[in-house]
Amino acid sequence: MLYLELLVQGLIYGCMYAIIAVGLTLVYGLLRILHVAHAGLFTLGAYLGLILTNATGSLFLAMVLSGTTVGLVGMAIYRFCYKPILHKPPYVALIASIGLFIAMEEIFRLLFGPYGLTYTKVPLQQTVHFFNMNLRAVDLVIVFGSISMLGVLSWLAQKTRLGIAWRATVDDPQMAESFGVSVQKVRYLNFFIGSALAAMAGIFVSLLSNMAEPTMGGVPSYKALAIIVLGGLGNVGGTLIASIILGIVEAFGTIYVGDFLDRDAIAFAFLIIILMLRPQGLFSRK
Amino acid sequence: MSVLLNVRNVTMHFGGVHALTDVSFQVMQGEFLSLIGPNGAGKTTMLRAITGVVTPQFAKVELGGVSIVGLPIHKRARLGMAMTNQIVRPFVTMNLLDNVALAAGHRRIATVLKAVSSVDKGAERKKAQELLDMLGIGKHTQENIQGQPLGVLKRLEVARALALEPKLLLLDEPLAGLNHIEAARLADVIVEINKQGLTVVMIEHNLGEVLRVSGRLVVLDNGRKIAEGDPQIVMRQPKVRAAYVGKEAEDAAA
Amino acid sequence: MGIYELSLAIIVCINIVLALGLNLITGYCGQISLGHAAFFGIGAYTVGVLAKAGFPSAVCIFAAILMAGFIGIIVGTASLRVRDDFLAITTMGVGFLFLGIIRQQEGLLGGEMGLSGIPTIGFDKPGFLVIAFIAVILCSALSLYIKRSWMGFAFDAVATDEDTAKLLTVDVAAYKLTAFALGTAMAGLAGGLYCYFTRFIMPDDFGFLTSISVLSMVAVGGIGSVPGVIIGTALLTLLPEMSTFLSDYKLLFYGAMLFAVMRFAPEGIAGIGTRVVQIYGRRGDAK
Ligand SMILES: Nc1ncnc2c1ncn2[C@@H]1O[C@H](COP(=O)(O)OP(=O)(O)OP(=O)(O)O)[C@@H](O)[C@H]1O
Ligand SMILES: [Mg+2]
Repeated sequence: MLYLELLVQGLIYGCMYAIIAVGLTLVYGLLRILHVAHAGLFTLGAYLGLILTNATGSLFLAMVLSGTTVGLVGMAIYRFCYKPILHKPPYVALIASIGLFIAMEEIFRLLFGPYGLTYTKVPLQQTVHFFNMNLRAVDLVIVFGSISMLGVLSWLAQKTRLGIAWRATVDDPQMAESFGVSVQKVRYLNFFIGSALAAMAGIFVSLLSNMAEPTMGGVPSYKALAIIVLGGLGNVGGTLIASIILGIVEAFGTIYVGDFLDRDAIAFAFLIIILMLRPQGLFSRK
Repeated sequence: MSVLLNVRNVTMHFGGVHALTDVSFQVMQGEFLSLIGPNGAGKTTMLRAITGVVTPQFAKVELGGVSIVGLPIHKRARLGMAMTNQIVRPFVTMNLLDNVALAAGHRRIATVLKAVSSVDKGAERKKAQELLDMLGIGKHTQENIQGQPLGVLKRLEVARALALEPKLLLLDEPLAGLNHIEAARLADVIVEINKQGLTVVMIEHNLGEVLRVSGRLVVLDNGRKIAEGDPQIVMRQPKVRAAYVGKEAEDAAA
Repeated sequence: MGIYELSLAIIVCINIVLALGLNLITGYCGQISLGHAAFFGIGAYTVGVLAKAGFPSAVCIFAAILMAGFIGIIVGTASLRVRDDFLAITTMGVGFLFLGIIRQQEGLLGGEMGLSGIPTIGFDKPGFLVIAFIAVILCSALSLYIKRSWMGFAFDAVATDEDTAKLLTVDVAAYKLTAFALGTAMAGLAGGLYCYFTRFIMPDDFGFLTSISVLSMVAVGGIGSVPGVIIGTALLTLLPEMSTFLSDYKLLFYGAMLFAVMRFAPEGIAGIGTRVVQIYGRRGDAK
């Protein structure tokens, strides 16, 4: 029974990691940038979701509005921050992105205060019985919400014109361009979707902890960096699997090696071991 | 004459691409051998397998009778082979002179301790200048890499390889990007160095120059060796001419 | 100089030693590290534990240097397996792993609460500043010498294109490990001094933000340039102290500065300096 509970725990975290990490790996696939500021968008999403839920009383409406806004902010980040420095050595964009992230965290702290905000009435706290386990509704929403969002995303990528153009651009930008795909459009779309997903993840985390705080983006997002590396930078499928694996490894790890390492250290120890064994990540790019 | 390089049964697959299939050949001490074949034949892959840049699924490679399979790239280079890149890769942070001087100082950087205990670069820079002069790009030495024409960078690759004082020089399309006169001059320089005793293996699409300077040919097509021997005789073989569909081969054979 | 100014000067010196170490790894040898603070921490905790056990300060500092350098070599082996972005994330992971281990070691390392009651180094503040300053001089001199030597030449090749360097007989692995050993040893020295200076250390002093701050100092100063790194470090350490406005918004300022420098002048202060000199020089030629 313990195992099953740990597994479910791992799955919940894994799903959350997955929707943060997908946006990151998409950006990496297209631009070869480690987009650390993605974590700032995650936090922004949480704040907007929480504030709008408190204001309107509807979590759903808040998610839609927060996702859209954060998506647009993501596009603006591409336009004004990354686009001008794409041709520089890779560390330039990485450091710029870290700077942007730190500045964003500070802005949240200044705007919303250092101690974080809470929900006036936390949604989705009712207990649900599921296979003999007591789960909160929010757990189920996270798991099924993430899976369905990623499902829709994958359907879009496989079946729609835009999705096909987008996959072509990831594979070979020059080739895609010569077939008339607007690489710029694809990049904007990419930032919109990735950022909106990060906002969803932020809202999920705020629901789990009943809080949105300035530093909440830190740890999950560094972990998302670890995940996309594990998944073989730029490989979407690999990233999803790596997210779930990491969630489960952490859940079991905290039980078995928790005395030596905390949860985050377990994640990174796992990352380091895997990378030393397989430098290209668990799943390499094709 | 003794065998300097002995390549046996090299097989290299990249996923489904069979870049090389069971290719064997030998290079004699002091000879000038050209490795030719159409685009994608596996020529570059062969040089990379010899220098250790790629690891074939199967290969036996001996230099001077000693197996070098399994040795890392820098150790193979220290045994006396130097390769130029088909797609030039100069150190963009250094000027032309220092690109060559670094290679000329290969003994100084052989160990970290030696490297940290020597500072003076005068002798190596002087030697680099001589090499660049010899290759006809001596007046560019103080310039940055950015903005140099391909012809200059191609010769820089050759200068850098020569600076290593190799026993075996492996050239990957050194004449590409050079005009007619420059190409002939560079080929002459290489011939001259070869006459002084350096063994040369050259990949080249410029068949006119190939036929003028090489002592022997190895022809690859589709990852397999299809012919080997005296240049004039090899070029007359129907299968070699069939591999080269196009004007180039017609011209050369004429 | 008052106590406050002295303390500031000492912190600047410690940060310069720390940043020069990262500059060796990232600036000279091209190996990006997002976990430099871990080695700063290793140095600090080595001194903390040994000093509390009663060892003399010279021994403690020496042990800090060795310990950080030794673990630096181990971590450096990661750079033989993974490159660029993969290496950045791996070293970031090393930083988190270090913190995780420290936090769980309550007995020896004080866990979350940190180590306090560390004995004094045996000098007053001015004396400490002299020692820190000597450390800066030594590390700068070593860095400048390396740059001039054939080792710096080889580092440059490894940083620019390691595959080509290998074809030119460079033993890339040996040079990378050397860069890691030297750079992390400097971080260990900085950490040891820091521990004696504050006499109270906590895991959070050596977290990801510290790694990023050091990287900022190097990047803002100009990656690879010793004077640039010194100026960048002094600037980023002192500016927040200059005005209460900046200290309230220290992190915002850091973040914005980091972003702005990378966005508008990726070569940092040293790059701007070089550009000015070039323009000036060209004018001089024209005369
Ligand atoms: N690293 C690699 N990964 C995948 N395929 C490769 C790789 N290197 C070479 N190939 C493939 O192996 C085949 C042989 O390539 P190679 O570069 O050796 O040809 P070549 O004879 O040098 O051609 P060219 O005259 O155009 O330079 C080609 O089909 C090429 O696409
Ligand atoms: Mg080729």
